[in-house]
Amino acid sequence: MIKIRSTKVIGLLLVMVMLLSLVAGCGGGDSKTTTVEEIKIGNIIPLSGSAAPLGKIGQEARDMAVEEINAAGGIKSMGGAQIKMLYADSKGDPATGVSEAERLITLEEVALLTGTYQSGVAMPSTEVAERYGIPFVVPVPSEDAITERGFKNVFRLAEKTSWRNRDQVTFIKEMAEKFNTPVKTVALIYENTAWGQGAVRAWEKYIPEAGLEIVLKEPYPSNSSDLTPVVLKAKNLNPDIIMMVSYVSDAALLTNTFAEHKVMPKAYIGTSGGFADPAYFELTGDNCEYYFDIATWEPDVNRPFSADVNKAFKEKYGYSMNAEAVKAYTAMYVIADALERAGSTDPEALRKALSETNITEGPSQMYASEVVFDETGQMVNAPLVISQMRKVDGKMERVSVWPEEEARPGMEIVWPYPGVGK
Amino acid sequence: MDAVKTKKISLIVLFLVIGFIIPQFVTKPYYLHVITMCLLWAYLASSWNLFCGFAGQLSLGHGVFTAVGAYVAVMLFNDYNISPWIGMFAGAGAAVLLSILIGYPTFKLRGAYYALATVAIGSGVVVLIENTQALGPFRVGGAEGLIVKLMGNAPAFFQFMSKQPYYYIALVMLIIVVLFAFWLKNSRLGYYLSALKEDPEAAEALGINVRNAKLVAAAYSAFFTAIGGVYYAMLIRYLEPNAIAGPMMSNEMVFLAVVGGSGTVLGPVVGGITLHAISEVIQFYFGDLAQGLHLFIYGLIVVFMIMFKPQGIIEILQKYYNRFLGITDRGEDEKSVKRTAGS
Repeated sequence: MIKIRSTKVIGLLLVMVMLLSLVAGCGGGDSKTTTVEEIKIGNIIPLSGSAAPLGKIGQEARDMAVEEINAAGGIKSMGGAQIKMLYADSKGDPATGVSEAERLITLEEVALLTGTYQSGVAMPSTEVAERYGIPFVVPVPSEDAITERGFKNVFRLAEKTSWRNRDQVTFIKEMAEKFNTPVKTVALIYENTAWGQGAVRAWEKYIPEAGLEIVLKEPYPSNSSDLTPVVLKAKNLNPDIIMMVSYVSDAALLTNTFAEHKVMPKAYIGTSGGFADPAYFELTGDNCEYYFDIATWEPDVNRPFSADVNKAFKEKYGYSMNAEAVKAYTAMYVIADALERAGSTDPEALRKALSETNITEGPSQMYASEVVFDETGQMVNAPLVISQMRKVDGKMERVSVWPEEEARPGMEIVWPYPGVGK
Repeated sequence: MDAVKTKKISLIVLFLVIGFIIPQFVTKPYYLHVITMCLLWAYLASSWNLFCGFAGQLSLGHGVFTAVGAYVAVMLFNDYNISPWIGMFAGAGAAVLLSILIGYPTFKLRGAYYALATVAIGSGVVVLIENTQALGPFRVGGAEGLIVKLMGNAPAFFQFMSKQPYYYIALVMLIIVVLFAFWLKNSRLGYYLSALKEDPEAAEALGINVRNAKLVAAAYSAFFTAIGGVYYAMLIRYLEPNAIAGPMMSNEMVFLAVVGGSGTVLGPVVGGITLHAISEVIQFYFGDLAQGLHLFIYGLIVVFMIMFKPQGIIEILQKYYNRFLGITDRGEDEKSVKRTAGS
């Protein structure tokens, strides 16, 4: 009896699958009937897997931007056409990214693609778009190589990974001069995957160029349970600057262990990631006071639109934006601007419009005062801001301190590092 | 008997014809891409099955071989301009060597211990690749991954603008691995493997060199798996250590083979095609709804299949196949009894 029943269940399942595939086939045929009043934009973002929370906040930021654009009359040069967002889950897997790019381009016939949180997904899926000649706006992934492959259809809003490291070094030089504290030696402590490795390559270029010396290069496996050996190594060498690339648990562990061993460089500088994670404050308490971190955006950064957009976002979703969300949000305005100027969804016209982008007003100001792409499709002046962890009204906060014109008014940089609780 | 033979041949011809004319009807590149991926997964599951299915060994680290094949071929191509058509055999050769290196110490281990060893080797290789920037003159790319040098439409270098060539290559690869599996199962080695699968001690007592039989079968399996890795590299044109060598790659092969029916010639093919098709259909419909919903549904379907048909989907098909040929189940049983007695 049981045997017969299970066969039936399997049979039923198979029939269901076949029916589903059949419907899938029909669905594909229907999508041709795109009306002019609707512009389809494909988004490939991680909606499952370890980066899913970041995919989600990216989706929310995009939705908010598109709602605003559509509510303000859509794309006027195309008769007020509305933007329609199509989301696809990359799972953070390169092969899935490729197959979803194929689907969005050839079935959904999107005008343009955007998204991918991970560089690993951006690399192959932008290549698919390049083959079909469909523009691909990349707001977040920062791996240098993405815009260094001679592609015509890839436009990156984010900074390159190496720029962060470049600006950290510039910051050190400026501070050393401003406070008259000579800086000579630098220790590098980094997690040993793609991100840390990329950062080290850039540091190895910029630090010697600035006349500084790298005295320690210490990779460690992420999610370590004890980093005391690393900390003691740094303590023995007594470097002027300690720079770190870490995910949140390691960032907190390093910070707490440095405090425990009273290591006193002139500055601790993080490279976003773990240091920018909200959990970092909970895990370190006061130990992280006076640490520096670099990011493309801070909630308190002194830029037009920044406070208002963040407030609207907070009201809508219940929490603050992060740098990734700001880039995703800005990207939709950059795309809308290009559509407006192109006046059509023809990929070549759209590509041309994107390459001629020059935005100096509007909500994209919260990210950059000027959005311009160079001939490789790289955003020319992706802005970076350095913040310092400071106690404001008894609560630890990220305070924007550099560059000076974007700093929070009324806050002075504390340099050199005074020690915990000073 | 003749009628049965005619029916068998006509069925094979039917499937071959369908296989070869699909691109004439499926013109949307996305659909062809999905079907191609189904064939690739069927191929990889079959390659895994050559050793693990036939000999009953649970390797959870076959991603090592896809990675070695892919990386060797791509490095030769990127840095020395050697066509991947040639490089794939270098990659497969490297994978064979590696399979022997791994197999020699681990084939002493039984059951869970062997499976655990393969998991450890698999994760180890991911970490190794992630931390290697260059290997002598070759760029490996570390954790940032390795981009395949783009040539546009260059058939001599395994790069095509259209999806059709990729489809046909995957189809031919699948046919070859199925023919090879058929040959292997009915060869002397195949009988050794099924003997040691049932009872290694008894096999040893009968005079079978168990370790050698395992080593040879594992080498075949590594060879075919590595070629699959090269194909993946040329289709996606970007290698990320975790995607090509990591647990997702390794587990998926096992998964598809087991659900389809491991240890049979066609089980992994059926599993690879059906399950991958299901997962794509679900992603198509539910991918943008709730986060991760499509993976949940996929998981449910797989659990149901394993619960109700632990022998694999092939079992159901086998029944219909026998009915089509006019053989009753009992007849098939008797035949297999006879065959076992004969060997």
